[in-house]
Amino acid sequence: MVEVRGVGYRVGDVAILDGVDAAFAAGRFNVILGPNGAGKSTLLRIAAGLVAPSAGEVRLGGRALSSFEPEELARTRAVLSQHVELAFPLPVADVVLMGRYPHYGRVPTARDREIQARALELVGMAHKRDQAYPTLSGGEKQKVQLARVLAQIWNYDEPRRLTYLFLDEPTSSLDVRYQLHLLDVARDLLAYECTVVAILHDINVALRYGDTFLVLERGRVAAAATGPDAITAELLERVFGVRAHRAIDPADGQAFWRFSLS
Amino acid sequence: MTIRRWPYRRIHALLGALLVVALVASAGIGAFSFSPAAMARYVGGWLTGAPVAGSDVLARNVFLSLRLPRVLLAGLTGAVLGVAGTLMQGLFRNPIVEPGLVGTSAGAAFGASVVFVFGTGVAMASLGALAVPVLAFAGGLGATLLVYRLSASFGKVNVFTLLLAGIAVNAVCTAGTGFLSYIARDPQARNITFWNLGTFTTADWRGVALVGPVFLACFGVALRYAKALNALMLGEDEAAYLGIEPRRLIRRLLVLNTIMVAVATAMVGVIAFIGLVVPHILRLVRSADYGFLLPASALLGATLMEVIDVVARVVIAPAELPIGIITAIVGAPVFLSILLREQRQGSAGFYG
Repeated sequence: MVEVRGVGYRVGDVAILDGVDAAFAAGRFNVILGPNGAGKSTLLRIAAGLVAPSAGEVRLGGRALSSFEPEELARTRAVLSQHVELAFPLPVADVVLMGRYPHYGRVPTARDREIQARALELVGMAHKRDQAYPTLSGGEKQKVQLARVLAQIWNYDEPRRLTYLFLDEPTSSLDVRYQLHLLDVARDLLAYECTVVAILHDINVALRYGDTFLVLERGRVAAAATGPDAITAELLERVFGVRAHRAIDPADGQAFWRFSLS
Repeated sequence: MTIRRWPYRRIHALLGALLVVALVASAGIGAFSFSPAAMARYVGGWLTGAPVAGSDVLARNVFLSLRLPRVLLAGLTGAVLGVAGTLMQGLFRNPIVEPGLVGTSAGAAFGASVVFVFGTGVAMASLGALAVPVLAFAGGLGATLLVYRLSASFGKVNVFTLLLAGIAVNAVCTAGTGFLSYIARDPQARNITFWNLGTFTTADWRGVALVGPVFLACFGVALRYAKALNALMLGEDEAAYLGIEPRRLIRRLLVLNTIMVAVATAMVGVIAFIGLVVPHILRLVRSADYGFLLPASALLGATLMEVIDVVARVVIAPAELPIGIITAIVGAPVFLSILLREQRQGSAGFYG
């Protein structure tokens, strides 16, 4: 459970976030939605402990974020960013092993190696473990980063340990197949009591994967809802400034949205 | 591109063996040449305090008080510059960075020139023999910090700003050094000139005793940051998510690195390009993992420096070529080829 209490963030006179309250539930896929500039990324960076808020506080599992030691926090939560590039030719397996850095001293244990191998297997990149990271395609790079982030918090043999996974627009540069694959892997973590918090741009993808939704608008909470049915056409039209049409897929009876400008 | 899986230990052992060969060769070759057996006898005699045959005294003294300290100082300096280049490239996340480019060497040279010219002043006298290393450290750290601050914004190092800031800071330091040598009297000016080109002719045991412990201490500390440097490759934010405090790491490594470079530079002068070439070769051979790179760059840096020092001694014998001239002739083409390759690969390798 991630609790965000009265969080504000100002840069000079500009309020990026203002009095944001939110609760991201454990074992749930929590989605943050909102137009560009609504403060989604800033909220995620504050909730993940990278940036200190100007006002309010964040609690992970009931404990104030500021009370965590850096390495302890790194063993508890992981963040997958949009693009991660490397200037130097490191093999894929070494990049994934970085996820275990907060867990070991100088030499990785057999368990660290095991988690590294399983994470690579899980994202389907085990066959490229010796390839140089900078020579991968964009989609492959993101899979490797996902494996690294999984290795950081995924302790397959301790299912009860609370962990948190933050995804900052993880699929924005990926084609549709990679997108679905990546989000499926993230969803599988929910079985390990992981709290997943994701910023997603594609509303149809968000509604399909998400359990709870936090809609931000100009640094404030516009809506907090559980279940895809709680997102209404009226809300989407107001926040995003578009026309929204809800339609039903005749194949499986699921709702999806189409958008137009007028 | 697939990366080779040779064990790190095997490569380190191979580099270690190469270094031993280079050390023995470098100790044996020169105006006086010594056979390995003679060298073993001198060193053995020195360690056990055994008496020497009369005809052997001169050769023994030349070896023990001139050749041996020179060879050791060259190796240590090479190791310092190799490790420093590796650390700097890690901090700046860029393969073209080395102490000469980011102002460390020019800043240190300026600091040292101040001592050469005003060395008789009261403030300097209180520092004694440490005046050159201390002022070289101050100058080197100031210049490097300035270049880093100018080129790193929003957690990323911009390569164009880095190059431009490096040019500007280097120009200021070089102008300062130039001004000092202009107002200096002849012996001081000659000191500055020799020093700017790098030389091992003045090597003595005092230099070995200073550079050796400083290198070992700094290298030992740097090894503990291998994981953190690897994580920093992902960028400052990602490193922070892995529990590393990037700002603190960068500050510490900059200081550590400048101590090493300033002390070595204070003893032998400015030697460019070793710090650039060494990590570059090692990345091509095996991997960019700092757990591998740091020890390997110490070994390869030392080996290269021995080879270059031998060349400096024999190529225009009985005179000697300044070290900096050789490293520049060898290093500049390597630098240009890295630059070209990076450019062809597009922006992937650069944080531009």
